[in-house]
Amino acid sequence: MMSANGMSEERKFVRLTKSQRIQHAVLFISTGLLILTGFMLQGERWVIEMFGTAGDTIFWWRSLIHRIAGVAVTIICLYHILHVAFTKEGRSWIKDMLPGWRDLTDVYRNIGYMLGLREQRPKMDRFTYLEKLEYFSVWFGMFIVILTGIMMWTEYLWPKFYLDVAGAFHLGEATLAALAVIVGHVFAVHYNPHVYPMNRAFIDGYIKEGLMKEEHPLWHEREVAQKSGDNV
Amino acid sequence: MASDDESCLMCHKMPGLGRYAKDENQNATKRILYVNEALFKASYHGRLPCKSCHRGVDEIPHTDAEKVDCASDCHIKDPSSNSGFSHRAIVHDLSMSAHGARQAKAGLEDDLPDCKYCHSNKPYQRSDADHRQSMKFLNICLQCHESEEWAERFYKHISYRASIRRSSKQIVELCSQCHADRVMMDNHELDVVVGFNDTFHGKAIRYGDAEVANCLNCHAPYESGFSPHSILSQRQSRSPVSGDNKIETCRQSGCHTGAKEEFATSGKIHPASFTTVQMMRRNTLNRPGDADPETAFQEWVLHMISLFYKTLIIVVVGGLALHQVLDVLAIRRERRARGG
Repeated sequence: MMSANGMSEERKFVRLTKSQRIQHAVLFISTGLLILTGFMLQGERWVIEMFGTAGDTIFWWRSLIHRIAGVAVTIICLYHILHVAFTKEGRSWIKDMLPGWRDLTDVYRNIGYMLGLREQRPKMDRFTYLEKLEYFSVWFGMFIVILTGIMMWTEYLWPKFYLDVAGAFHLGEATLAALAVIVGHVFAVHYNPHVYPMNRAFIDGYIKEGLMKEEHPLWHEREVAQKSGDNV
Repeated sequence: MASDDESCLMCHKMPGLGRYAKDENQNATKRILYVNEALFKASYHGRLPCKSCHRGVDEIPHTDAEKVDCASDCHIKDPSSNSGFSHRAIVHDLSMSAHGARQAKAGLEDDLPDCKYCHSNKPYQRSDADHRQSMKFLNICLQCHESEEWAERFYKHISYRASIRRSSKQIVELCSQCHADRVMMDNHELDVVVGFNDTFHGKAIRYGDAEVANCLNCHAPYESGFSPHSILSQRQSRSPVSGDNKIETCRQSGCHTGAKEEFATSGKIHPASFTTVQMMRRNTLNRPGDADPETAFQEWVLHMISLFYKTLIIVVVGGLALHQVLDVLAIRRERRARGG
């Protein structure tokens, strides 16, 4: 396949469907807003005092945006459950995402390879063990922050101590998630040399064959065996 | 005062007027005796003759001066009763409250706030917007009332009491001057308030939120008939923050109106040690070993949640970072090997 400029164009495969990209976009925007407006409550005194007399208005917007984004993230999580339960693409997603024994062996093989103790990387499938960990961390984390968030929103129903417990989980889980997303996910899709400066799958939904062979060789083999791939 | 009938300003208008005096501990204190006439005239008490409050002072030097007593009768009449006006009722309320000097242990009476501790006879101050609004309003008054000076003072008298004089932030700072002072609170056998600023109420106040509860909203709710002058100790059964009264205080209008009974049954608002969990900071225990078993258990639970997440963050985020670094190094090695 030759393109106009004479370069051979690489084959592309679908990594994220349109529905999944929209889910990612909603999750990305609402989580970003939640982290920003949430950690505004943890600001040191001198930071908050910089807002001066506007602080009251900023606080009001902070509280409103945190709640709106919280509702959005809850809706998208519920939608995602329906997505993996009732759509073809969703069922194939969750089937490939479920962890197996293979992932455990992948962990020590891959670490061994990275340390230079093994000759080859283990061949990984559609989702690597790190991607599976990230994905199910979102399930687990969302369950905790949504549950404790609803508790704190309906504060009049609970004893103060329960609210303190909810607040401790909410803050702890949010801190863990924010740092894990930055160090784990943002790093993997931006800084990793395979994709630097950016993995574009979240925009156009495609993964190039070269990257696919490198990071997901088993999946590539499966896809090629099944059909010849979507030639673009 | 306008005409300085008592001739006090003859001397007290001099900006340098002052002296050094010794207090009871033989420490020298600077006493400024200068009175700025313009500021005084613009203050709450600006129309009172000096001698209304400063009794004695007939001789020079004023060796006969009495201590100012806010409970004494003023020389003005209360228009509602046509009898002599006095702050006596409020002074009585204060003396019966937790802040009354009779509550203090012997020798510690001076720690307790007197009237002047909070009330500094401030000048009436207003923002430009307030000023324009009041000028508009004053024109209505002046349709009937002839004296502009009288109308303005009357208007200020009402309008200043209609608005809140201290912001929540200022109230927290005022109360904290003593209640966050560990040594002073230890002397009085009271819990030092350490955790309020880390609560949701405290954080909202720091941003300038005026709706959220400050110290006075719970300790002296007007709705339940309390005023800042009648604050009671939590140990007294009539206190709005004691036992069964607590839930009604939480439920006051504009706050947690629909709160269930359980809302106020467990957990501490403050003082808090671990009850406000901070990821980066560590609140030290208020009074080690002093907490009751229930509070101690709750603090332990919250501490363990915090510890759990701190550990998890170090392991997970540290592990991820290490993994990413190894991955980048491995990929670079691959590329070098390929001659890329």
